[in-house]
Order: sequence, then structure tokens, then C-alpha cells
Amino acid sequence: MFSKALFKQTVKAHWARWVSVTVATCVMLAIVIIVLGNLGISDIRDSLKNVFVQADQESSVKEECVDSYELYLTTTDTYSQALSISNYMTLITQSYDGQISSIEQPTQEDKERIANSEAEKWINMMGAMDPSMSEDKKLELKQFLSGLLLFHDANPTLQNLDLITSYYYDTVYNQAYTLSLDEGYTEEEAQERAQTSKQLAIDAIAYYEAENDTEGFTYNRSDFEEPATNYVNQLMYSNVYDMQIADGVAEDEAKQYAVAVKVISNTAITTYQFWIDDTTAGVTKDEAKAQACQSISDQIPEKVAEALSELGNMDIYGLIIGSIFYRIAGLLLPLVFVIMTANALLAGQVDSGSMAYVLSTPTKRRTVTVTQMLYLIFSLFCMYAVLTVVSVISVWVSGGNSFAINYGEILLLNLGAFLTMFAIAGFCFMCSAIFNRSKHSLSIGGGLSMFALVCTILGLFGSSVVPSAMRIPAMDFFNYLSIITFFDTVSILNGTLDFLWKFGALIAIGVVTIIIGIFRFDKKDLPL
Amino acid sequence: MNEVIKANNLTKDYGNNRGIFDITFDVKKGETFGFVGTNGSGKTTTIRHIMGFLKPQKGSCEVMGLDCWKKASEIKNHVEYVPGEIAFPDLRTGTDFLKSQAELLKLKNMDYANYLINKLQLDTSANLKRMSKGMKQKTAIVTALMADKDILILDEPTTGLDPLMRVTFLDLLKEEKEKGKTILISSQMFNELESICDRVALIFEGRIIDIANIKELQNLPYKMFKVEFLAPKDYNEFKKMQFEVVRDQEKYNQVTVKVFNNDIQNFFKSLQGYKLKFIAEVDYNLEKYFMEVLKKYQGGENNV
Repeated sequence: MFSKALFKQTVKAHWARWVSVTVATCVMLAIVIIVLGNLGISDIRDSLKNVFVQADQESSVKEECVDSYELYLTTTDTYSQALSISNYMTLITQSYDGQISSIEQPTQEDKERIANSEAEKWINMMGAMDPSMSEDKKLELKQFLSGLLLFHDANPTLQNLDLITSYYYDTVYNQAYTLSLDEGYTEEEAQERAQTSKQLAIDAIAYYEAENDTEGFTYNRSDFEEPATNYVNQLMYSNVYDMQIADGVAEDEAKQYAVAVKVISNTAITTYQFWIDDTTAGVTKDEAKAQACQSISDQIPEKVAEALSELGNMDIYGLIIGSIFYRIAGLLLPLVFVIMTANALLAGQVDSGSMAYVLSTPTKRRTVTVTQMLYLIFSLFCMYAVLTVVSVISVWVSGGNSFAINYGEILLLNLGAFLTMFAIAGFCFMCSAIFNRSKHSLSIGGGLSMFALVCTILGLFGSSVVPSAMRIPAMDFFNYLSIITFFDTVSILNGTLDFLWKFGALIAIGVVTIIIGIFRFDKKDLPL
Repeated sequence: MNEVIKANNLTKDYGNNRGIFDITFDVKKGETFGFVGTNGSGKTTTIRHIMGFLKPQKGSCEVMGLDCWKKASEIKNHVEYVPGEIAFPDLRTGTDFLKSQAELLKLKNMDYANYLINKLQLDTSANLKRMSKGMKQKTAIVTALMADKDILILDEPTTGLDPLMRVTFLDLLKEEKEKGKTILISSQMFNELESICDRVALIFEGRIIDIANIKELQNLPYKMFKVEFLAPKDYNEFKKMQFEVVRDQEKYNQVTVKVFNNDIQNFFKSLQGYKLKFIAEVDYNLEKYFMEVLKKYQGGENNV
């Protein structure tokens, strides 16, 4: 099934072409990755970012301000309620402990059940004493209390108000932490954000305590709006200032920037409070927040905003390296190599008649086809092995994993390009095996392969990697005509797994066409 | 196993009366068998069937009892082949090509190859692509012969060789023949085949019209003489004698007569007394023979 002598002959016949194609493609690839990686092509995009992406940042700053403000007021609300039950705390915890001690080795479920029933009992009692308590508030208090009891169970040394505040801080911390993780922050960042929230709660309660000491104090939420606003403004100011200083920005500049953020914060909170206070508008807290956090991109027409922010966020390296180099420019030379070599391996030799020499030795046709096919695949494999090494080195030169395309992605891009070439090589090989004339093999095998590449170029203008402002959706039609569409660079760079089944499809196309070619060559007439 | 190559009703119809039809022949062990015919008469197609490159539409052919299509690679253990069209693999020099081919043949000993190279005065270090047609042909011949197998199939091997080299090549073939090889050779040159073949088949429009035995052809029981008389009187008188006139050209007072060997004395005696312009023996060869056969065949065909 394999002839070493024929393989050697084929290698000798095609090595020059292999070397020139490999070298040229490697040089192109290295230029694309290293030069573009170090030229800072992101400058233009950065200025776009300054205008439009910053608007989004501003909006997220505003959100943070409103959230902090809301947390401040929620804290004072909750604390004022907690104070009302703090007098009973010793009684409540004792009752709970009594219930627990009646059970031998209580499980977590037992504890939760008892905490719930205890909370219900006490809240009902309080409700009976204070008929003005609303059902909503009861439910809220009940949940708070049952959580509190479980917290007490875990921290038995804490007493009364200490227990309540500790529990509350803990809750704030945990909520902020999980929320941050959900929003995509890293564990470390989430911890930091949670700590900030906890500190805010501590400060809010400290302020409350100070106020509480004054004569004739009764809690009123609106009294705390102003201190909350001031607190958040100051918080934003100092945070931004510290960050800027840490980033090496000059003091004056940092101050200026921090003041700007403080203004943004104040505006956001004032707007938010304005919408909440205006009872005639009847807006919910979320709606009020949305109004307060509007950015420039919310004020210009939605489609324009989308297009512009997309342009700012566009992954230009992904586009150039993935969609343009690996799927188009970098495929061109290997494609020419495959078209010419596949044709020369069988059809060319049958056409010229040189195949007669191999077949006049005791070499089976099957041996010839299998050997030539192995050469074709092997030469492609070596080509992409070299390209992989060059691309990995180029990425390393451009900053390794901190480069827009990391090692894993560049390896997958190379693998994908190899599999694409494998499928095309299979098809060209099949044509070479079926036809006795070079011109037929070349025009069908080479023609359709080139057609696929041209379709990919045209289809690029309809694909999602091109910003919507430049995109012509109808051009996406061309992507359905091209085998190269199975090489899903977008999926690879986005980290989705769609590309895997498409890899499978490429392998299947290659294998099936090769098998058809081999069987056809066994049975056909050869004009030798 | 006397018949080394055998074809039975081999048919491949390419349409438009092109192809080969009911080709039947056999080549015995040690025999040299020739194919002669015009361009496109089907010589190469027949040989391609024997080499197992083409699948017969009808009929079959065998080499050493093995079906040429089904056992194509096995028969190559016995067959060496010089293709009609000379195109070499994409290698640099003749040496590269010979080496590569030797590897495919699993041939270790290159002594015989070197003998052939010397005999044909071939410069194997030349670039394959820049070789003249003759050099290419020589390279092809060396490539085929170097494995020294039992059966040699050559498709128009002398095209491109100069007349001197042609003689050298025919000598080489005779050597191979003396070794006991079975040879199948196609050519457009009658004299070439006549000098080496035991039997020659004439192919015309895809059909074997006749198979001539060269020995019989060379040992005919009669000779032909062309005689031209100076005077028409003599010419007319001679015609009245009992000799078989094959051709009569009254304009020149010329006749061609067929004289059996035992009648030659008699023939010369009867010419005494006549004034002759010249007398010459007419060579009777394969070409003449086949021309006659062909004329008869076409005549017969036209009558139908």
C-alpha cells in the first residue's frame, strides 16, 4: 500500500515548490503578527474609544454611583429596623439555642427549619405589638431574622447589636461578591468590590450611630439622602484619584479627572433621586436608574450607537489574523501548492505518460495512489508544522499571552487552516485521480478550490467580523458556497466550541474525497 | 505454458470506428512478435491492454496465464516496457531517474544497466528535461531493459533514434532475443520488424488483418524478375511463353514474371536471343506482402 521509492521520487520532484510556498507563507505570517502587533494599530481605535466607548464607561460609573447610593440608604433602612429588634435579640437567640439543643446532632436542615420557625414566631409577635407593620415589612424582617439566627449559630460569641451588624456586613459582602462574579469580574476583583461595599455599609452605620446619639432622633430615609450623596461622591473621587496616581498620572491631572468623575457621580445620583421623588412619574427604582445612567450612546439613534461602539470594540487582530490571514491570505499559497501538486501527483503523470514507468514495475495502482496521497497530506502537515512554529514565535515576540491572540488560539488557527487544506487537498486529489487530463483535473479541482477562496473573500463583507457599518448582509450568501466556511475562526477566537464540529466536517470531506479518488483510480482506463 | 502472451477477441470500441476489434493472437515463449500498422491503427491500444492499463470491453488478454487487467501488478514481475510516449517523472537527471526506477524495481545490481548505458552511449548525467528525443528514447530503453525480465514489450522504440543508433538498438534486441526473451514490438517500419521478428501482425483500423511468418516469407519457392525488352516484337514473343506474368507494362515493353525456383534454368534459357534493356530480380519483402494483403482486404471490403 506504500512505496518508499515512489515517495522519495515524489519528494524530490516537489521539494522546491514546497520550500518556496512554506517560506513565503511564513514570512507573511510573521509580518502580520509581529509588525501589526508592535505598530500599535489600536491608536485609531483608541480615539474612537475615547468618544464612544468612554460613554459606556461613563454610564457604568454612573451605575456604580447609583448602586452605592442605593446601598447606603438600604443600609440605613435595614439598620433602623434592626435596632427595633435588637432589644429582643438575647431572648430570640436563647429561644433558638434552646430549640437546637433539644436535638441531638442537629443537621444544617434542622437549623434552617428552626431558624425559619423561630423567625416567624417572633415576627408575628412583634406584628401583634405593632399593628402598623406592613405585611411586606414582616416578610422582609422574617427573612432577615432567620438569616441572622443561622449566622448566630455559626458565630455564637457575637451578641445583640454586634451580631446584627456583623451579619449585615457579611450579607452585603456576599451579595456584592456573587454579583461581581456574575458580571464577569475575576475572583480578586470581586473580593475587592465586595470589600468596598462592606466598607460603605460600615460607614453608613457609623454615620447612623452618630446621628442616633443626637437628641430626639427618629429615622427618616430622606434625611440620609444628602449624606449618602456626599459619601458616594467622595468615595468615587478618592477611588479614581488613587487609581490615577497608581497608574502614574500626575497629581494635578489625577485631581482633575477625579473631580470630573465626582461631578458625574453627583449628576447621576441627583437625577436618580429626582425620578424617585417625583411620585407623579410613577417610575420604579430600575427605571430611575436607567434614566440616571444614560450615556452619549443612549442619546444618539440606537443603530448608530451600536455601529460606533461595535467599531470601537472590534477585535482588529482577530479580524486580520483570523479572518483575513488564516482564512484568505495565508491560504492562497498553500492552495496553489495543493492544486499544482495534487494535479502533478496523478493526472499530470497520466496525461504526460510518465506514470507508465511506475506502473511498469510491480507497483499496484493502489500503492501509487496511497503513496501520493500520503505525500500530499504529509507535505501539508509539515508546512503547517513550520507555520505553527513561526506563528508561536511571532506571538511570543508580540507579547505572548498578553497579545490579542494567545498561544492556544494561534495553535487552533493553525490546526484549522491545516484541516481546511486537508479537505481541499482531498478534493483536488480526487479530481486528479478521476481525470486523465491535467486541464480537466486543474479546471475542476483547482477551479473549485479557487472559487471557494474567492467566495470567502466576498463572504467576508457579509460576515459578522466586519463592523455593521461596512457589512452587506447579502454577501453572507457567498459563505454558504465555500468549503472554507467550515474553518470557523470567529468561534475559535471567541472561545465557543462551534468550530469543533466544523473541524469534523472538514476531516470528513477530506477522507471521503480521498477514498473516492483512490477507488476510482483503481478502476479506470489509463492512456499510458 | 508455451504461449506467453495471449489475446482473445480483445475489443475496445472508442466509437467512430476507432479502437480495436476482436484482436486475437498469441506470442510463444522465446518468440519475437511484431505489430505493424499506420498511426491510429490500434497498436498502442492493444499494448496498453496487455500492460493492464486499459480494461477490455470484450475478450481478454493474459501474460504467463495471468489476466492482464486483474493481475496487472503481478504480470509486471515478468514484463519490461518501453512506452510509446516518452515523458519522464519530474526528476533532475537521467541518473536520478534510473536510480529511482531501480528502487521501484527493487533492483540492486546495476551492472546490466551500466552495460546498456555503454552500449547505447547514453550520458545519464544530462538534465532529463533538456534531453533530445533520441536521448530520452535511449533512457527509456535502458530503464526498461535493466531489470532483465522474461518478456519485453516495446511500443515504437526506434522513433527518435538516428540510423546508426537504430542499428545498435536492433543488435541489442537480437541479444535479448538470443537470451530467450519473449518480445512484443510495435513499429511503423517494416524492414525493422522483418530483421528481428519471427512473426508480424498487420493491424489496420483496429483489426488484425494478417499475421505473417517472416521465415516463410524469406524462403518463398519462387522469385520475381522484371524484364524490359528493347524491341516490342521480342516483348510480344516473350509474353506468349508459359511464364506467369505478374505485372505487364506494355508502354515500356516491360514484364514482371514469377518464376519457381526449379524453373529458373529454363527461364534464363528462354531469354536467350532476345535483346534486353535490363533484367532485375524484384525483392519480395514484408512491405510488399502486406501491401498485397491490404489491397485484397480493402478490395474485399469494398465489394461488400
